[in-house]
Formats: sequence, structure tokens, C-alpha cells
Amino acid sequence: MHRFANPARFLKIARPLTGWLFWPGLLLLLAGSACGLFVTPADYLQGQTVRILYIHVPAAWLGMGGWSGIAIAALMQLVWKHPLAAVAGRAIAAPGALFTAICLMTGSIWGRPTWGTWWEWDGRMTSMLVLFFLYLGYIALGNASARQAQQGGVSNVTAIFGLVGAINIPIINRSVVWWNSLHQGPSITLRGSSIDGSLLWPLGLTLLGFTLLFGAIVLMRMRAILAQNKVEARMQRLARG
Amino acid sequence: MNQWAFVIAAYAVTLAGTAIVSVVSWRAMRGAEKRADQVSDRT
Amino acid sequence: MKAKHQRLILALAALVALVGAGLLAASALKDEAAYFYAPNDVRTKGVEPGKAVRLGGMVVKNSLKRAADGVTIRFDVTDGKATVPATFSGIAPDLFKEGSGVVAEGSFDAKGTFVATNLLAKHDERYMPRELEGMNYNESTHEMKAER
Repeated sequence: MHRFANPARFLKIARPLTGWLFWPGLLLLLAGSACGLFVTPADYLQGQTVRILYIHVPAAWLGMGGWSGIAIAALMQLVWKHPLAAVAGRAIAAPGALFTAICLMTGSIWGRPTWGTWWEWDGRMTSMLVLFFLYLGYIALGNASARQAQQGGVSNVTAIFGLVGAINIPIINRSVVWWNSLHQGPSITLRGSSIDGSLLWPLGLTLLGFTLLFGAIVLMRMRAILAQNKVEARMQRLARG
Repeated sequence: MNQWAFVIAAYAVTLAGTAIVSVVSWRAMRGAEKRADQVSDRT
Repeated sequence: MKAKHQRLILALAALVALVGAGLLAASALKDEAAYFYAPNDVRTKGVEPGKAVRLGGMVVKNSLKRAADGVTIRFDVTDGKATVPATFSGIAPDLFKEGSGVVAEGSFDAKGTFVATNLLAKHDERYMPRELEGMNYNESTHEMKAER
């Protein structure tokens, strides 16, 4: 577990990995978007607006996956005191919040022509909005307590907040099953997919592409924090003479 | 309204947001690593 | 016991308590957080006339009728267990059609007809190209079979 605790060893892997994740990710998401826009057929009911699926679903996945990452990092920080976990949590927060916002916005744009409304307070939408506010709270708490925190990561209090907030993730996932909602039920389950294969395949490309890109962004933000730590440590040593 | 207008708006929002966070993160990383290299050169 | 193990047990215990509390709260919310009433909920629980509620279900096939004034439509909403008649005056969303999902905002009148002030179309989790429309859909296997 602590094999990558050493920032130098982590950076040795993170430096080349950033590019390896970024460029294939970008390529895949652009290819998937192009296929989703121009290659796949229109939906029998929704027509062309079904194409929003190929970006709305990855955005939702990253928003929820990002908070899952924050929770795992928080557990590693609190239990094993892994020094890089606090940095990882801080690095995930901003892109996670962004993709949650993108999910809400694309969902709203999709809702107008299909459902006839920009926004309704149903279980899925409300719990996703709660996730966005949780991200904002995490970022604010992380920044406010950055001074007590170690090495540019989040403080332990922020990590606890990240762990507590994780309860929202299964609620989002199950919201359309537990409650009557305007949002439709899950299309892709363990039993298979109710999205026809001819419409489904670009989603695989964009899901993988956005995920790789998200990984690259998190690595970039972690590298920025680690580099800043190095500068600050040097400055302190200089100041002490 | 035309369905394509909604589709294009959704893709524009997504691609713009993704591009902005990528560029901002990359620039922050490059700046920080440059400064880090400079302080280690001084030793 | 090492401090690390103590922290692990503490964190796991807190996590279990948290998930339990969350699930409990969610199940308590089960009825309150429902976005709409299904026709069967209306039948079993009863909704007083005039109270602003949402009614959700499928528009019964061949039940959609346009009144003589040209703007009022009448249709039946069902959830497979109960059926409720509804009326609406105004512009319905494009996806509102027979055999498809609907969420209507409004209230019941004294005779038990739902008077909708706004209609939202609710679609299900199926997505497919137009060529496949009309095929039989098996809900448990997600398989499509041509209609015979």
C-alpha cells in the first residue's frame, strides 16, 4: 500500500502516465462523440435528442465515480495515513464537481425536448444536485482547512466529510428504483442493456475516453500540488537559513 | 425547436467544460513543476 | 492491537452506521419522496379532490380523445393495476402519445377525473432505432422479437 507513498516514486510513474491517459482519452471521446452524432440512428421515440446520451452518461459516471474516489482516498488517509491520499482527494474534487455540473446541464437540455421541462424535483435530479453541493462543500472545506492539512492535501475533517457524503452515491443510483420519478429507470443492468446495440456502442467509446481523460486531469492536479509542496519546502528551508 | 439545437448545445457545454478543466490543470501543473525545477537547480 | 487496526475498525463501524442511517432515512422517505402518484396509489390511499398532486402512468391505448373545442384532450392513465381518467387543455409535449408514459400535474375533481394543468412526457429505459419500433420487448431478458 505504501509503495507509492514516496512522491518521487509516484512521480516516476505519474509523469509518463499522464500523457498515456490524456491522448488516448481525448481521441476516444472525440471519436465516440463523432460516432454518436453522425453514425448512429435516431431513437424511435426521441429522435435526434437521444444523442445527448453519449455525453450525459459519462458525465454522470464521472461525477459519481469522482466522489467514490474521494471516499476511497479518505479511507486510505484516515486509516493508513497514506500521504498521497489527501492529495488525491483534493485533486479529484474540482473535475468531479465540473462533470456533475455537466451532467445536470446536459440532463436539463435533454429534458426540455423529451419530457417538456428543464427541471423537476424528482428523486434522481434532486440527489444529483445534492452531489454537486457536496462537491462544493468539500472544495470549500478543503481550501479553508488547507493550512492544517499536510502537504497540500485535504485535512482529516474534510476526509471525514468525503466519507460521510458517499452515502449519497447509492441513493443516486437507486433513486429511480425506490421512488416514482420522471427520470426513467436504469437501462444498463446486470441482465443486459435495454439500449439497442446499434445505439449503444459509441457510449462505450465516450465512457472509456472520458474516464481516461479524468484520470489524466487528476494526475495533472496531483503533480501540481506535489510540485508546489517542493517549492514551499525549499522556501521554508531557505527562510530558516 | 429543432432537436439538433438541443443536441449541439449539450455537446458544446460538455466539450467546453472538459477543455477548460484540461487546459487549466495542465497549465497549473506545468507552472508548478517549472518553479519546482528552478528551486532544485539553485542548490 | 495496532493503532492502524483500531482506526480501520473505527472507520468501518462508522461507515456501517452511516450506510444504515442513510438507507433508513431513504426508506422512510419512500412515500414522501415519490415524485408522483400512480393510479393504484390513488385508489388505495385516496387523494382528496382539489389537492395539487402529480399523476404518473401510461396513457391507455385508444383512450385519447380530443374534445369539440379542439384544445381539451381526454385520456386514461394506468399503471396496470388501476386506471384513472384525465383531461388536459393546452399544448402537450411531443412525446406525449398513447401507450407512452406521462406525468400530469393538477388535481382531482369531485367525480374522480384528474384535471391536469401541465403534462410531462415520461419515457422508459428503452432506446432503439425506428426500424425496431413495434417489436415485442421482453422485460426480463431485454430481448427484442419481431411481432407475429
